[in-house]
Amino acid sequence: MLGPSFPELLAAAQGGDEQAFAVLWRDLQPALLRYLRVAAPEAAEDLAADTWVSVICGLGRFRGDERAFRAWVFTVARHRAIDWRRQAARRPTNLVPGEQLAERPAPDDPVAQVLEAQSTQAALALLAELPPDQAEVVALRVLGGLEVGEVARIVGKRPGAVRVLAHRGLRRLAKRLEAAGLARGVTR
Amino acid sequence: MSDDDALGPDMHPLLGFLESTPPAAGQDLLERLLDGRLDPADAPSSYGELTRLLAAATAPATPEELTGEQAALAEFRALMPARPPTLVPRRAAMPSKLLTAKAALAALVAVLSIGGVAAAATGLLPGQVRPVAEQAPPTTAAARGLGKAAVADLDNATQGLCRAWQAGKGSDNGSRADASAFQALTAAAGGPEKVAGYCADVTAGSVGDHGQGQASAVGPDATAAARAGLCRAWQAGGGTDNGSQADASAFQALATAAGGADNIAGYCADVTAGSVGDHGQGQTSPPSGSRPSTPVSPPSSGPPPGAGPGGHGQGGSPTTTG
Repeated sequence: MLGPSFPELLAAAQGGDEQAFAVLWRDLQPALLRYLRVAAPEAAEDLAADTWVSVICGLGRFRGDERAFRAWVFTVARHRAIDWRRQAARRPTNLVPGEQLAERPAPDDPVAQVLEAQSTQAALALLAELPPDQAEVVALRVLGGLEVGEVARIVGKRPGAVRVLAHRGLRRLAKRLEAAGLARGVTR
Repeated sequence: MSDDDALGPDMHPLLGFLESTPPAAGQDLLERLLDGRLDPADAPSSYGELTRLLAAATAPATPEELTGEQAALAEFRALMPARPPTLVPRRAAMPSKLLTAKAALAALVAVLSIGGVAAAATGLLPGQVRPVAEQAPPTTAAARGLGKAAVADLDNATQGLCRAWQAGKGSDNGSRADASAFQALTAAAGGPEKVAGYCADVTAGSVGDHGQGQASAVGPDATAAARAGLCRAWQAGGGTDNGSQADASAFQALATAAGGADNIAGYCADVTAGSVGDHGQGQTSPPSGSRPSTPVSPPSSGPPPGAGPGGHGQGGSPTTTG
């Protein structure tokens, strides 16, 4: 978050100031990319770029504070991810759904990586293995830094439903991590 | 890792806790975790791994995550020209982009010829893109008494141009401004320095006066509302036979506006999202977010399709005139 400098930066970027836009971009891009690594892992980079194109096109018309800007950017990103998943589902070569991947013992098990190396990529991979509605809400809350009400607006659900989904997602993650930690403790 | 040993005795109570409905304190803890307000050092041992996971997920940005900056700035330069762009014609080098641009330009011409009322009102032929465009900046057209259909027509066509611009993003943004179709876009905006704002208005799904303007807007797929209607129809059929939908005559205009059948999904996502927040009907029940202090909804951040009445009202009339 940029804080007090945001309004000035936004106004400058809206006026075409490239450096001001760069500051906005650097502030949001990592979170955006991480969200997309959860929402559409195979296309995260491209979708992030697409998101920024939409944001640039709508920038001149944006009115709001930094939180609203953030929420808008993630709204656009979510649309891109939904479009991508829709198109991916129509492609002849279907990608293996995350749920199936989760049950395969991968050589680079994200659980182990999270527990041992605290790897960001592994953490995102674990988040991506949650059921999609849970993953989406947890990602928007944690990675997007958005509040319950903001996420509720973005995903079109009631705040209560957002809370429930996020809690379920976290408990599922905790269960998986603890089980893995226990298994590691036993085998050691 | 010694933490594992420390966690051992806690495992059974933890798993039992996870299986059952957690107490309210657990939910509060989860909310603090989600908000990033729970210091890992303060986390109970049963939440230790989860806290570490979330900390890893929100670790400081890495250089790899910022590698797209130059590309993003190039897009910014292309779409928001603050300075006069350097004009170096390179049409031959970008056939596919030009093709897309031509398709969008064709949409512009087609829409203008359909919107004969608008053209007649200005005393110009449909093909005379620039003069019509110059008379129809979105914020002033209504005040001038110009037919609102003209505003909507141009809105639609310009969206196509902006889409075409976006579709061709990548290597040679600088030269894109030179393509003849995009010169029309520049003319429509009233000058190169105004393209960005103009483009932002239309791609955000609405020009300022649609709330009042749609009552008198005419012409097939000329209004943002009608566009949203087409998009909703498209989305309603999504998942089953979108491929063949593109062939249906009703959607051909949509495909043209989107710059191709493959682009409809993305195009519609923006159109419908923008229309929900921007049109008059949506104002009766604004989504009550947690932050009422936010003055205005961002351009594309309306509730997802179905959350608001948006463009439905006019969506059914795209083929009534022509």
